[in-house]
Amino acid sequence: MINIQIVTGDSRPIFKQIVDGLRMEIAQGNLPTGTKLPSVRGLAMQLTINANTVAKAYAELTSQGLLEARQGLGLFVSEPRQLLSEEEQEKRLTGAVDAFANEIAYLEFSDQEILERVEAALTKLGKGAPENGTKRG
Amino acid sequence: MQHFIETINLTKTFGAKKALSDFSLKVDPGGIHAIVGSNGAGKSTLFRILLGIESPTSGAGYLLGEDSRSLPESVRGRVGYVNEEHTLPTWMTAQGVMDFQRAFYPSWSQEIFDQVIGYFDVDPKQKVSGLSRGERAGLNLAMALAQTPSVLILDEPTLGLDIVAKQSFLEALMFTETEYDSTIIYCSHQMEEIERVADKLIIMEKGHLVNNSSPDEFVQRVSYWVGEFVGDMFARDKMPGFLTAKLIDGQHHILVADQGPDFGQQLANMGASSISQSSVNLERAVNAFLTKNHKSPSGAYDRKN
Repeated sequence: MINIQIVTGDSRPIFKQIVDGLRMEIAQGNLPTGTKLPSVRGLAMQLTINANTVAKAYAELTSQGLLEARQGLGLFVSEPRQLLSEEEQEKRLTGAVDAFANEIAYLEFSDQEILERVEAALTKLGKGAPENGTKRG
Repeated sequence: MQHFIETINLTKTFGAKKALSDFSLKVDPGGIHAIVGSNGAGKSTLFRILLGIESPTSGAGYLLGEDSRSLPESVRGRVGYVNEEHTLPTWMTAQGVMDFQRAFYPSWSQEIFDQVIGYFDVDPKQKVSGLSRGERAGLNLAMALAQTPSVLILDEPTLGLDIVAKQSFLEALMFTETEYDSTIIYCSHQMEEIERVADKLIIMEKGHLVNNSSPDEFVQRVSYWVGEFVGDMFARDKMPGFLTAKLIDGQHHILVADQGPDFGQQLANMGASSISQSSVNLERAVNAFLTKNHKSPSGAYDRKN
C-alpha cells in the first residue's frame, strides 16, 4: 500500500504530486530499498487517475535514480544513488533553501532554534538511508 | 491511417452565426482526449459533422480516415457515442436493451459489458424506467465499451450524476481491460474530472481551436501576475497574451497566455509597481481562456479605468 494522497485543483499537476509523494515516502524510510512498487494500473486505480500519469511519474523517479526496473518483475525502490548532475543538485538545493527561508522569515524563532529543528528533520530522514545521512553530516 | 479524427479548416455557419471557424484538429490514436468549451463553443456541431449528421459549410472532417460526409458502415460500426441524457427505451428491461444493442455489433464483447456493468448496481430484469440516472449512465457506458469501438465519444457523460455514480463511471471508463485501445473523446465542464482522466486537453472557444496539448503543458501556458498601476495606467489592450484581469485591493491580478518570465519587466515598463508572480491550477487556467473576450463584470471595470 502506497500512502500518498493527490488533490485536484492544486497548482502542482497530479504527476508532480505523485513524484513528490513517493520521493518523500522513500526519503522517510516508509518505502525501504528493494520495496516493490504497485503496478502502474494498480496505483492508477488506487488514486482514480489516468494510468499514463502514473507511468510518467514512475519514469521521472526512475530517471532520478530512486526507482529501478527489474526485467519482468516490476519497479523497485533502488539503492540510494545520485543521477542528477552536480549543477542540477545545486539548483534544487538553492530552490528548496530559498523557499524554506521565505516561509520562516516572519516566525519568532532564533536562528539557533531553527537550525536545531532542521538538523532534527535531517536526522529523521537519515534513518532510512544512513549513507545519505553521513554524507550530509 | 495517421489520425483517428482530423478536421481541416472546418467551418459551419448557421445564418449569421459561425459555430465552427477554420477549425483544424488532429487527434492521435489512443488515450483520453478531453474537450472543453463554453456552451455554444461548437462542440456539438463538431460531433454532428464528424458523425455525418450535419454537413460542413466549408472544409472537411475525417473520422478514422474517412470523409464524414460519406462514412461507410464499417467505420460507423467502430464509433461509439454516449450523450449526457442517457436516453434509452424506458419500456425495455436492461437485459432487453443489451440484447437489442448486441445484435448490431459483430465485435461485441460480453466480457467487457459484464466488467463495466459490475461497477453499477443494475439488475438485468429491471426496466429502464426504474433505473436511476447513474445506472442508466452505467448501462450506456457498458454497451458503448462492449462494442469495442475504435473511437468513443462521451458528451458530458457524468452530468447530473451523484458522487458515487461519478466515481464508478470514471473507474469503469479508465480501468476496464479492453483488448482494443479505444480512443476516447471526453467532453466535460468538470475540471477535477479532466485533471484525473485526460491525456490531452482540447479547448474550443467560439468555434476556434485554442489548445491541444497535455493538461500540464496547458497550465504552463498561463501565468499569473500581480501589480499596482497608478491612476489609469492599466491598459489591457497593450498587454501581449492578455486573458483576464481583476482589481483586488488596489492591485491588478492579471492572467496572460504564452508569456515568459520577462513579462514582469514588461509590466514594469507599462508603469506597474510591486510586481509579483504566482502559479495557477488547471481550472483557473481553463477559465481564463474561456472568459477571454466574453462579456463579464470586468466589462464594467473597463469603463472605470
